[in-house]
Amino acid sequence: MRFPAWPRLVEVSRLLMRIVLGALFLLGGAAKAYDPGTFATEIQRYNLIPWLPGAIAAVYLPWLEILAGLLLILRRFERGALLLITCLLVVFTFALASATFRGLGIDCGCFGKAFAATGTIFPLIRNVLLLAFTACLWFGRQ
Amino acid sequence: MTAVRQALLILLAALIPASLTAAFHPRRPAWSQEALAPGEETLPTILNWGDNLFWVDARSAEDYAAEHVPGAILLNLEDWDRLFPKFLDRWSPGQRVVVYCSASTCELSRDVAERLRKNGISPVFVLKGGWEAWKSKR
Repeated sequence: MRFPAWPRLVEVSRLLMRIVLGALFLLGGAAKAYDPGTFATEIQRYNLIPWLPGAIAAVYLPWLEILAGLLLILRRFERGALLLITCLLVVFTFALASATFRGLGIDCGCFGKAFAATGTIFPLIRNVLLLAFTACLWFGRQ
Repeated sequence: MTAVRQALLILLAALIPASLTAAFHPRRPAWSQEALAPGEETLPTILNWGDNLFWVDARSAEDYAAEHVPGAILLNLEDWDRLFPKFLDRWSPGQRVVVYCSASTCELSRDVAERLRKNGISPVFVLKGGWEAWKSKR
C-alpha cells in the first residue's frame, strides 16, 4: 500500500533541498565576492595551487557560485546550475578533505569572513551532506 | 537544452562580473603577491583568529627578555630540552600556536614550528615578518 501523501512529501523535500543548496551558494558567493583579496589568501592556505591561479579563482568563483545558486533557486537553467554546483562541491570537498588529512589547521574560507574559525571538519561534513542533496535532486528528477 | 550547455552559458556569464571585479573591485587580490610559505600567516590574519592563540618566541633569551609579544613564552632550539616541558605545561590542546623570530629573514621560527609539529603539537603557524611585523603593526 502506498502512503498517499508520499509524492507531495518528496516534492516538498526536493524544493527545500534546492532552496538550501541555492541559498548557501548564493550567500557564500556573495560573502566571497565582497572581499576577493581575502578569499585569494584563503585559497592559498590550502597549498594546492600557486598564487596567480588562486587569485583568478578568487575573482571568478564567487560570481559562479552566485549565478549558480540564484538560478537553482529560480529554476532557470536549473540542470546547468545543479551540474555546476555539484562540480564545485566535489572540488571544495576534495580541498577540505586534503586540508584535514594534511593537518593544516586552517579555516574553510567557505563564507569569506562571515564564519571564521570553523576549521575544516565541520565544513567537510556539511559538504558531504550537500552532495547528498545534489544526488537527490539529480536522481529524483521528473 | 542539455545540462552541459546550460552550465557552459553560466560559466560564460560569470566571466562578466568577474572581469569587472578583477578590474575595479577595491579589495581585488594582487596578481603577483608574494606567496606565503606553507604554515606561514600574516599578522592581520592571526589577530583575526581571536584570543585562542599561544605565542612562542623562538629568538634568543636576551631578545625575549628585552621585549616580546604579551603572553608569549620563550622556546628556542638552543635550550629546547629545558623550555619544551614549560611549553607543554602552559599550552592547551586546541590552542593555535604562533611562532615568531626576529624578522622575515630568520629561520628560527620555521625550525621551532617544525620541531613542535614533529612533537605532535598542532596546529602550528609561523608569523610572517616575525617580531618586526609585530612591532610595526602595534
